[in-house]
Amino acid sequence: CVAQFRDHGYIPSTQARASLAVGQDTMETIAERVGTPTTGGVIRGQSYYYVASRFRHYGLLEPEEVQRQVLVLDFDSAGILRNIELLALEDGRVVELERRVTDDNLSDVSFLAQLVGGIGRFEASDFVGSE
Amino acid sequence: VPASGQSYAFNNVQIEGNQRIEPGTILTYAGIARGETVTAGELNAAAQNLRSTGLFESVDIVPSGGTLIIRVAEYPTINQINFEGNARIGDEELGALVRSTSRQVFNPNVAEADVTAITEAYASAGRINASVTARLIERTENRVDLVFEIAEGGVSEVERISFVGNRSYSERRLRNVLDTKQAGLFDFIISRDTFIAERIAADREALADFYRSRGYVDFAVQNVDVTLTRARDGYLVTFNVEEGLQYRIGSVSIASEMPEAPVEEFSSVPRLREGGVYSPVNIDEDIARIERRAIQLGIPFVAAEPRITRNPRDQTLDIQYVLSRAPRQFVERIDIEGNNTTLDRVIRNQFTSVEGDPFNAREIRESARRIRALGYFAAVDINTREGSAPDQMIVDVDVAEQPTGRLTFGGNYNSDNGFALVASYSEDNFLGRGQGIDFQISTSTRNRIFSFDFTEPNFLGRDLSFSLGTSYRQTNNDAALYDTETFRFSPSLGFPVSEKGRLSVYVAAEYTDIYNVSDDGEDDPSIVIQKEAEQGGLWATSLGYTYTFDSRRVGLDPNAGVLLRFGQEFGVGDTQFIRSTALASAETKVFNEEVTLRATAEGGYLAYGEGSSRVTDRYFLGSRYIRGFEYHGIGPRDADTLDALGGNAFAVARLETEFPLPLPSEFGFSGGAFIDYGSVWDLGEDYGAEVLYDEFTPRATVGVSLFWDTPLGPLRFNFTEPLMAEEEDETRTFELTIATTF
Amino acid sequence: CGSDLVESRPALEAFTPEEIYQRGEVELADGDAEDAAYYFGEIERLYPYSEWAKRGLIMQAMAYHRDEDYPNARAAAQRFLDFYPTDGDAAYAQYLLALSYYDQIDEIGRDQGLTFQALQALRTVIEVYPESEYARSAILKFDLAFDHLAGKEMEIGRYYLRRDHYAAAINRFRVVVEDFQTTSHTPEALHRLVEAYLALGLPEEAQTAGAILGYNFQSTEWYQDSYALLTGQGLSMEASGDSWLAQIYRQMVLGEWL
Repeated sequence: CVAQFRDHGYIPSTQARASLAVGQDTMETIAERVGTPTTGGVIRGQSYYYVASRFRHYGLLEPEEVQRQVLVLDFDSAGILRNIELLALEDGRVVELERRVTDDNLSDVSFLAQLVGGIGRFEASDFVGSE
Repeated sequence: VPASGQSYAFNNVQIEGNQRIEPGTILTYAGIARGETVTAGELNAAAQNLRSTGLFESVDIVPSGGTLIIRVAEYPTINQINFEGNARIGDEELGALVRSTSRQVFNPNVAEADVTAITEAYASAGRINASVTARLIERTENRVDLVFEIAEGGVSEVERISFVGNRSYSERRLRNVLDTKQAGLFDFIISRDTFIAERIAADREALADFYRSRGYVDFAVQNVDVTLTRARDGYLVTFNVEEGLQYRIGSVSIASEMPEAPVEEFSSVPRLREGGVYSPVNIDEDIARIERRAIQLGIPFVAAEPRITRNPRDQTLDIQYVLSRAPRQFVERIDIEGNNTTLDRVIRNQFTSVEGDPFNAREIRESARRIRALGYFAAVDINTREGSAPDQMIVDVDVAEQPTGRLTFGGNYNSDNGFALVASYSEDNFLGRGQGIDFQISTSTRNRIFSFDFTEPNFLGRDLSFSLGTSYRQTNNDAALYDTETFRFSPSLGFPVSEKGRLSVYVAAEYTDIYNVSDDGEDDPSIVIQKEAEQGGLWATSLGYTYTFDSRRVGLDPNAGVLLRFGQEFGVGDTQFIRSTALASAETKVFNEEVTLRATAEGGYLAYGEGSSRVTDRYFLGSRYIRGFEYHGIGPRDADTLDALGGNAFAVARLETEFPLPLPSEFGFSGGAFIDYGSVWDLGEDYGAEVLYDEFTPRATVGVSLFWDTPLGPLRFNFTEPLMAEEEDETRTFELTIATTF
Repeated sequence: CGSDLVESRPALEAFTPEEIYQRGEVELADGDAEDAAYYFGEIERLYPYSEWAKRGLIMQAMAYHRDEDYPNARAAAQRFLDFYPTDGDAAYAQYLLALSYYDQIDEIGRDQGLTFQALQALRTVIEVYPESEYARSAILKFDLAFDHLAGKEMEIGRYYLRRDHYAAAINRFRVVVEDFQTTSHTPEALHRLVEAYLALGLPEEAQTAGAILGYNFQSTEWYQDSYALLTGQGLSMEASGDSWLAQIYRQMVLGEWL
């Protein structure tokens, strides 16, 4: 079968990246010129991260991230661009996600509640058997 | 009112005239505390505050010496509201329109607003000369009853519609393009004929779309004049149109203002061809294809804009799609609300856009369509608003859930099995997880069926469906003097293999048995049945796959569609067989998308390596395959006992058309005609019996159908006439089934 | 089938408001909240200006609430607040209004929209009637509703994390850490940030998240998970880089949280 590819996220084009000037550009000028960053750091106001990835969907396999670019822009305390870095998929680390989840103490809808909801609703197929 | 500029100090405030509302409340609303120094302006403001609560008929604030007197007259409280003289619109419906409610304070301007609301409701129901007045009836304890007296007036109908200036299309053709038809026979039922200003505006739009999508670029409705009939109960509507010239397509080209989007990558995309009739619909489709191509190439924010140059000399239009940079917008958040039972992930799974992706309006519309297709929601509306930055969009998904389960105990009828008692429970959104369950038990004179199916559409969170089907079918074919029993258990996995293709792979275990074979000498069943029954109960395990290609899944042309299905099931273990089935069906809509043409070819072949087929394995063609015959009506037959034995091979072709009937569309009737041709043959092992029709002997039927779209779902009544049938075939002329699309 | 009472409801015009009120109380005592609400409502309709109308109105709101007829309970409570905003029972009416949203959260667990309304109504109780006996339990319920909202953000964050959409996941978890830091989900949000930043190849951010988790939620299992994850990747738990350390010091030691 045929693999399908889907792109997610966004990273400024190579020309736009070339226009970023360390020491001059600020957080505002960059966001205005190349777009709001995809995400940022834990503590706001320190770094911009633009993330673009390509996923490969192939048959019944789990969609796999086959390509990723992370543009890292660090700013000093005055918000001036201090450092530019481009990371790729290989720079990422394989992480085993923790299975445990904080309980949101909400009861799921009960089977009985849904069962009762269905009494007395009809459709044509109920009256005209198909096979 | 006190002169402004002065200021007062009061040591106490006296409140007069209040009945229900307490002094403390009046003071808080007025915003004056005792002992405060207050200017005249503030006194005015206080009076205004009190008036704005809508609780008081009159408010006077009079400073006299050290005390401030606030004299109020409260509005009476509404005891009851009723409507008189309304026939066309019920009290319930009017009650919902009206904002005054019992127990609330009566407020004249709210009552006035209610009067206009009721009058508007009548106007949009076509009774433009209805009149409404509000009247109060005094009650004890300063209460009133609010009565809305309604004089509905006669219905204003559209008597005749005519056109001036239509050269290319007849008046009849244009009339059925418009919504309002002439006042028909059943006018008391249909509300469509009533004359409504917006409906006429909608008709102008419908006419414009109709002409423009046929190349009449300069089409315009000059004016619509409406004259009242002498009896003042109907209207004559005349549309004056200016058609202009019909334009065809000249050259089609692409230009790009974006270095990242080179023209060569897009040149093969547009489907618009030179010489074709100009239509905005085709242009939109091309734009959609170009934008989809840009996404495939991974170039975000590409907008294709059609630039049209007109050459009046040869009545052609040159189309150039210009690729330009679209404004940069991102999906910041997708917020889903209203999902009481459905889990968030079941809805979010329908989005291919992820938070942080470039915003793609077409993609969001596609996701909305997929969410609606789930069938769990009565309403799904998606709208977007600006997020935390000008280029960040928040997508709000508001869903209104509807019950998705059906628990029924009852009976059903269909032409193959006759009447059956049925107990069934099905739930399409089990526990809000998007899983489907279907559980059925049905008993009829011919058979007893038990089935249980389970489906998880997003197995392991992927676009991978896992389903489990088990069924037990016991038939007592009274005509053929033997009973059969079939149990089947089959888990399967289904996943996309290409944009329009899906593959499902499954394993199956099946137990079949033939028993109660009567052998009292006179009317025994065919020797074939007897021999096959001697083999007793047999288990067969098999692996299989089914590939389906459905062009409508992503197709841009919603009217045409091709469905191909090909599957093979391989018996493993002691009985080795290969069952291959194939189906090819194509459908298209013609005559302004009103008439559907569908051609279907379907076949199946069962080949045995080890062992041979039995009556429980072979094909018997029901009305789903070929119409006009009883369930065991055609196929190989034992020459002397006339038992239908079924065949290892079948092939059918069906040509069908569906078209609207000249009845008002509210009734939901439409017509159809069809020709079925095909046969079932090849008994395989005949145990020496003499078998009729064992080779391919074609049968054909011609028929007409009546579709009825009932609130419970589409029903189909078929009236058939066999053209080619064999002497021993069992034909029939009428069938009732559910209308299904392929 | 409808409630049987509808036909047998006598015309109450002949009764005094007090008698109808007592009839309502009897019904309430019998546990028939729906009929009680009907009787209390009738007092307001027949004798809107009597003292009993006011008491009947608040009892009507309470009866509807007990009958779990939340829309009617809201309407009655709102009417009480319109007519008698300064009354002693106004705090109770506002509290009933808030409860009618809040109690629906369990019944309609998944819906975010309703939770917002509950939060606003509860906040009104807390701010407008701080000394009332309901303020305390309103605060408790406010925190629970707030926790529920944080739970939804986490649910969506995990959805994206599991599908390797790390940036989308990070944004959701950051919302929890910034806007919902008093809820029970914050420790997990911080750990998920460690996971997501590591997966993206931004170890410094992962360490920062781990450090904040370490300082504030040392006793949680989430801290153990982050500790194992970070040290397992050969990274220490302290935040690396100088200026961040200063900022982390300001937030964690001085308590200017995020």
